[in-house]
Amino acid sequence: MSGLTYSQIDQTVLDTLRPASLRYWAVIVLMFFGILLGAGCWAYQIGVGIGVGGQSIPVAWGTYLINFVFWVGIAHSGTLISAILHLFRAAWRNPIARAAETMTVFAVCVAGLFPFIHLGRIWIVYYILPYPNDRNLWPNFQSPLVFDVIAISTYLMVSSLFWYTGMLPDLAIVRDRATGLRKRIFHILSLGWTGRFEEWRHYTRAYLFFAALATPLVISVHSVVSWDFALGIVPGWHSTIFAPYFVAGAIHSGLAMVLTLMIPMRTIFRYEVFITKDILDNIAKTIVFTGLIVGYAYAIEYFLAWYSHNIVEQESFRWRAAGEYSLAFWVMVICNSVVPLLFFIRKVRRSIPWLFGISILINIGMWSERFVIIIGGVAHDFMPNAWGTYSPTIIEYGVLVGSFCLFFFLFLLFVKHMPSVSMTEMKESVHKGVGHAL
Amino acid sequence: MLSEKQVIGLFKDENLAASAIESMAGCPWQLRGVNSPFPSERIMKAMKAGKSRVGHFTLAGGIIGFLSGVSLAAYTSLQWSLIVSGKPVVALIPYLIVGFEFTILFAVFGNIVGLITQTRLPEYRSVSTYDPRCSGEYFGVLASCAEGNQDALLAFFKEKGGEARFL
Repeated sequence: MSGLTYSQIDQTVLDTLRPASLRYWAVIVLMFFGILLGAGCWAYQIGVGIGVGGQSIPVAWGTYLINFVFWVGIAHSGTLISAILHLFRAAWRNPIARAAETMTVFAVCVAGLFPFIHLGRIWIVYYILPYPNDRNLWPNFQSPLVFDVIAISTYLMVSSLFWYTGMLPDLAIVRDRATGLRKRIFHILSLGWTGRFEEWRHYTRAYLFFAALATPLVISVHSVVSWDFALGIVPGWHSTIFAPYFVAGAIHSGLAMVLTLMIPMRTIFRYEVFITKDILDNIAKTIVFTGLIVGYAYAIEYFLAWYSHNIVEQESFRWRAAGEYSLAFWVMVICNSVVPLLFFIRKVRRSIPWLFGISILINIGMWSERFVIIIGGVAHDFMPNAWGTYSPTIIEYGVLVGSFCLFFFLFLLFVKHMPSVSMTEMKESVHKGVGHAL
Repeated sequence: MLSEKQVIGLFKDENLAASAIESMAGCPWQLRGVNSPFPSERIMKAMKAGKSRVGHFTLAGGIIGFLSGVSLAAYTSLQWSLIVSGKPVVALIPYLIVGFEFTILFAVFGNIVGLITQTRLPEYRSVSTYDPRCSGEYFGVLASCAEGNQDALLAFFKEKGGEARFL
C-alpha cells in the first residue's frame, strides 16, 4: 500500500463511479423486487392485522424482533472499525472504514423498521414519543423499551452524521473531477469544502470527538437492546451477562458482515491494492476474539443455570439444547464459536473462499442466536401449561427477505455512486500510516 | 492605491509547502490561505495554529443533553405521580441511561454546530478561486502582494520548489 501515489488512490476510487454495467442494474432491479415483496407483506399485515404473523401467546416476540436485534448487531462493527480503531490509531481500518460506516447506517435504518412492523398498528407509533397531551400520559422512562427507542434514534443520528462528516473531503475530490450534473450534485453535497487549513484544523478535532462519542454509544446501544430481555424475569433472559454478551455478539456478526461485503467489493472494484489480505487477516483475528467471548457466554449461561439450582432456569437451558429448537441452538453454537476457530490457522485467514464462507456461516449463526434467545425464552418459561412453540409465517419470511434486499439495495447504490473508500484517509495512510492523526 | 495580486504556489511535498510558509515572515507579501489534500501536522506547525474551539461546543452540547434527558424523564414521571411496585416516582438509575443517550446526542449536535460555525461551511464562493489539484496531490499556498511584486512572489514559490501561477 505504501507504494501508491495520491493520484493512483484517487483514480482507483473514482473509477468505481463510472457508469454501471447492465449486470449491476439487473441486481439492483432484483433487490428492488425483493423490497416490493417485503413491503407488500407488511402492507398486507397492516390491512389484515398482526395475526398474519406467527406471533401468538406465549411467543409474542417473533422474527420481527429477531430481525431487529440482528440488524442492530450488524450495525455495530461499522462504528467499531471507524471510531474505536480510529482512536487506537489502527491504520488498517482506513480502506474499510467507509464501507463499514455505510453498512452501519443502512443496517440501523433497516433495524429501525422492525419495531414499527412489530407494532402492528403503525398509525399510533407516535404514542412512544414524549409529547404534551390531554390525558397527561407520557412514555415510561423506566422501561428498557423506551431506552431502546432513545438509544436507536441516537445511534442512527450519530452514525449518519459521523458518516457524512467523514465523507466531506472525498465529496470535494469527486466534485473537482466531475462534470455536468454530477459536478453540481457533488458541489452541493461537499458544502464548498476546499481543504483550507482552517477547515482541516477544526475538522480533525471534530472527527476525534465524533469517534470519542461514538465509542461509548456503540457499547451502550447493544447493552440497551440486551436489557429489553434481561430486565424481564423470563428464564434464559434475566441475566447480568446479557449486556457484554450482546455487545460481543453484535461485533461478531458485524465483522462477519464486513467480510461478506468487502470480499466481493474488492474483486468487483479492483480494490485488492487497498483491501489487502493483511486487512482481511486482521478482521479474521478480531472475529476469533469475539467468537471466543461469544462461546464463553454460551458456556457461562449453562454454568449459571447449574450453579443457581434454579430448576426453571435449568429446564430452560436443557430445552434449548435438546428441545424443539435444538437445531437452531446447535447451528448457533457451531457457526458462532466453533467454525471461527478455523481462523486460528493462518492459511484459512488468508484464503478468500474460506473467509467468505465462514463469514456467511457466522451471519446464519448469529441470526439463529437471536432466534434461540428470543423464542426459546418465552416459549418455555415458568408454567408447563403455558409452554408453546412458534414458527414464522410466509408473511414474516417475506418481510425478512425484504429487509435483506433493502439493505443490499441501499449498499449497492451507495458503493456505485459515492466514494466507497476514503481517499483522504488512504492518502494519510500512505503518508504516515494513520488516518486523521492530528 | 496599488491593487492586490494573488499568486498560488503548488507543492507536491508538505515539507516544501511548510518551508515556503515559514519563509514568508518578513517578506512583502501576505499569506492568504493554505489548501491541502489531507490534514498536515507539518503545515499546522508552520501556521502556528492554536487549538480548535470545536470542543467547547461539544462539551456544551453534552451538558445540555444530560440535563435535558434527566429533566425530561423526571418531569414526565412527576406528571403521573403514582408509586408502582414500590419503585420511586423519580428513579435516578434508569434516568441516568436516558441522560447518557441524550448527552451523546446533544454533544454530537454541539460538535456539528462547532464544526459549521468554526469552518464557516457551507461556503460555496471559495470553490471558484481555489485550485482543484489541491484536493488531489498538491499543497496550495495562497499569497497576495502589491501590484508590481507579483513576479517576485512567483519566483519565491518556484525557488521554494513549487509551481506557481496567478489567480
